[in-house]
Amino acid sequence: MSSDEIVDPTLQHDVSVRRVLLHLVLPLLALVLGIVAVIVIGVHSYRTTRAGVESLTHELLGAVQHYIAQEVSDYIMPASAGNVIASGMIEHVPPAVQDKVFYSYGGAMLRSVPQLQSFYLADDAGRFVLITRHGKDGKEQERTTLQVKGGRKVFHHDYYTIEGVKTGEADDDAKDYDPRTRPWYQNTAGSNEIKWTQPYLFPTDKQFVMTSSLRFKGQDGHTLVFATNISLNELSTFLDHIKVGKSGNAIVLDSKGRVMAGRNLMQLAEAAGWDPNKMVLDPKTHPVFARGYDHYRVRGFGPRSFSLNKKRYVTIAAPLPGSSEGWILLLSAPESDFASFAKQSSQQSLQFAAVIIAFSLVLAGLLIRQVRRSERNARLLARQNAQITHETGAVQQVAATPRLFDPTNDSLVLTEQLAHVTNAHRASIWRFLHDGSAMVCNDSYDQRQDAHSGGFEMSRSELDAFFKAVEEGEAFIVPDAAVDERTSQFERLVMREAGTHMLAVYPIHGAGSVMGAVVLEDANMAPHLVYFVDLVTAIAGMRLAAAQQNAPDAEHGTQSNADHAALAVQQAADLPATQFDNMLMRAPEVAAVTASGIYPAVAVLVITFSDPVVDGEAETEALLKLTNQLASDVQRIAQERKLFAVEVAGHRLICMAGCAAEEDPTAIIRMADAALTMRETLMAALAAADLEPVFTMGLDYGAAFGGPVGADPQVFNLWGQTVSLAELMAQGAADAGTIQVTERVYAVLRDRYLFRSRGAFFAPHLGLGQAYVLAARR
Amino acid sequence: MDIRTVGPLLELNKAVPSFEESGLPPVPFSMRVMPGECVVVEARDPENATQFADMCSGLVPLDEGSVKFMGLDWTELHDREVNALRGRIGRITHRASWPTFLGTHLAITLQQLHHTNRPMDEVVAEAARLSEQFGLPGLPVLRPGLLSSADLLRAGCVRAFMGRPRLLLLEDPLEASPVELERAFLSALTDARDKGAGVIWLVRNNAIWQGYQQGVTSMWRLADDGLVAVRTG
Repeated sequence: MSSDEIVDPTLQHDVSVRRVLLHLVLPLLALVLGIVAVIVIGVHSYRTTRAGVESLTHELLGAVQHYIAQEVSDYIMPASAGNVIASGMIEHVPPAVQDKVFYSYGGAMLRSVPQLQSFYLADDAGRFVLITRHGKDGKEQERTTLQVKGGRKVFHHDYYTIEGVKTGEADDDAKDYDPRTRPWYQNTAGSNEIKWTQPYLFPTDKQFVMTSSLRFKGQDGHTLVFATNISLNELSTFLDHIKVGKSGNAIVLDSKGRVMAGRNLMQLAEAAGWDPNKMVLDPKTHPVFARGYDHYRVRGFGPRSFSLNKKRYVTIAAPLPGSSEGWILLLSAPESDFASFAKQSSQQSLQFAAVIIAFSLVLAGLLIRQVRRSERNARLLARQNAQITHETGAVQQVAATPRLFDPTNDSLVLTEQLAHVTNAHRASIWRFLHDGSAMVCNDSYDQRQDAHSGGFEMSRSELDAFFKAVEEGEAFIVPDAAVDERTSQFERLVMREAGTHMLAVYPIHGAGSVMGAVVLEDANMAPHLVYFVDLVTAIAGMRLAAAQQNAPDAEHGTQSNADHAALAVQQAADLPATQFDNMLMRAPEVAAVTASGIYPAVAVLVITFSDPVVDGEAETEALLKLTNQLASDVQRIAQERKLFAVEVAGHRLICMAGCAAEEDPTAIIRMADAALTMRETLMAALAAADLEPVFTMGLDYGAAFGGPVGADPQVFNLWGQTVSLAELMAQGAADAGTIQVTERVYAVLRDRYLFRSRGAFFAPHLGLGQAYVLAARR
Repeated sequence: MDIRTVGPLLELNKAVPSFEESGLPPVPFSMRVMPGECVVVEARDPENATQFADMCSGLVPLDEGSVKFMGLDWTELHDREVNALRGRIGRITHRASWPTFLGTHLAITLQQLHHTNRPMDEVVAEAARLSEQFGLPGLPVLRPGLLSSADLLRAGCVRAFMGRPRLLLLEDPLEASPVELERAFLSALTDARDKGAGVIWLVRNNAIWQGYQQGVTSMWRLADDGLVAVRTG
């Protein structure tokens, strides 16, 4: 792409985007989707498991609840069922044996049912008997009857061992005790159902007791009430021992929320001041049960789940059949007790998922790395392919050059293609002079300026180390030519001007010796490029060998080249003095022109000055003076070089040489030399006047019409294609101060002067041709 | 430099243009233009010549085959790349192709200003230089509609040679042109070729390019049966 272009059409964005999409985004997307799928499945599985666990927990709790309810029923059953049995037994016996039946039943029950505390029997006449536990461990029995002794009501106590052996008796004052006023007696009034009293506490023995009572009629027609005291302490102990899950427990409440049985019942009673009515659930001490009870009150019986202090709990509220009215069994347990295995399972699943994700990430990373690597290789391959195409094209370009091996034909293509293929700043071909005392640059191509030059000479005395390095015959590459002793002088003399640093030197091998070298500056010397450089080196070698064979005596040291111009001037010594036409012309001299006609080999130099801008008289005068100086200089140089004539026409000067019927081979040499001298002189004069080089020069060589025209005075005039082309060259010169010449001039002078190729041009009636810039003498 | 060594600059590979869209004969067109080559295509019908140039520029849909410019198939590129690639083509068209709402100077410099990041001064200086080369006193600033047809032709030449065109599609500017334009045109043409540009010169008759015969690489005729190679002396 040209450096100026904004968009490079050769870049295929869509392809790279697609490639990135295919190679990177898609796998990553798949990976992300995989991870999301694993997470979703994990979460779903966790939720399903949790729901299952919740359901299972509820069912388990339900089962536990049933079991506890059954246990509680069983616990209370002896009291309620015992009432029925005992009353049934007592009502059918004669009054005389009622006490006996009562004591034997009570005794048997107290011995076998631990939760039963005592039994009462009273009638509507105020008779009262009692059997209760006695002794420290409650194994002995105490039978008490309400008697009147001495006009006073006394409780007569008889004490028995477990075997029924009387161990003692005692009386104590009953004061005005009347069983008919007791709650257990009164709450049976008008009912033949079993009635329960409110629980009440015995702070002395810390018993929490409830009484169930049943009213019935005896054979004698008296109304009797049989009552059973049952201790709830045992129920609490039982509930305390029941495990609900790992750490859950149970509690029994009545319909008003008072605690009937449960863990730490005694502490609760103590805190409530032994008042059962104050033994309600405190959210501070029983937060879970309090919350569960709240749920029950709002939503009724059944299992409930809730979070408390960031922990999930399950509670279940159930009625207690066969118990006092309105009793509720409340169970609670942390959900984790049941769901911990599910949590563990979920955690394991998540850990597995994390492992899978980690593996996936590693694999994705490897995949991406592999893709990047293969992409890099593909790019490298594409670049190499492009390079191969590039080189193949370069080889074709070299191969297609006509007269490639003809040393008389300048094969500029060699250096050009070398520079293009190796991307060198400058590529040049140097040859040794036959005695090896110097190297001459045959052609040097500067890629950045797209210009050829050549003819530079390096003597062995200056660059001995470089010469020796080349003569060793081995190619060498120096990254920084300035610091390598072999190339430091070469860098100073040749490379510094171009600002290059890296140097690659490939010696050109001839028959048994090194004939020169291909030198690349700032080249990109990839290993695969060496073969192309070798190819060009071989071609250059053949060209140099051919040149030596064709013209073995062409070089006789450098002084012969330098003296060409002087020699040409000497040879032209017998020519007539220079003619200065128009204002500069010395009229009598025109007589020297003897004949008009076609001159076969005329060298015409046209110097065109651009129009000056003057402002004021002083400047005009200075300009006129300068013009005169320039004209004088041209005059002087023309005379020195024995030019035929110099014609002044407006802002043009036309210098001509070789206006003779016979071809004069020195004419073009003298003219070229004059052109270079004039350029130098004019530039110096213009620089002294602080002016830019405002002139261009054009040179052509060929046949022209010429002759004196007019009568008095006669003026010499020259016209024809050569003159037109010289003018064209002057007009179309690349830059101010340059001498542009035609292909014909180049062909004649290429051995003696340095030229830069300017490219092809088209001229009417002449067609295509090459233009060159005359740079310097060799 | 890139185009000197890579393959064909323009390659028509059995490209069958859509008859409905272009009016060109729906037959396979095959042609190659290498860098630096000048191909003359004789087309009697100027409309066909324009359509052929359009086809080379990737503006005509193809029924079959492909047209590749600098190795890139027009149909495989996206708009952004297609436009950039078209920016490398210099064209002189028969049909009026000047924006009526802009001055000619803008119309001439627009392509370079749009496709490149060259400084404005540089582009203007080049346009002015080319204008002088093609016989205009300077860069024309009037609207194209106000220029004479000869000056518009000159402006067209300036526009075509602006920048560094890789391909020149020239629908015979020398026809009915001032005589002095020929020299400037051929000079610019040669210069562009020397820098590696390929040229397709569409002419109506042979007489026009005869002066440049030695510079012509190959000669074709655009007929009803497609492109026919013509032997040149």
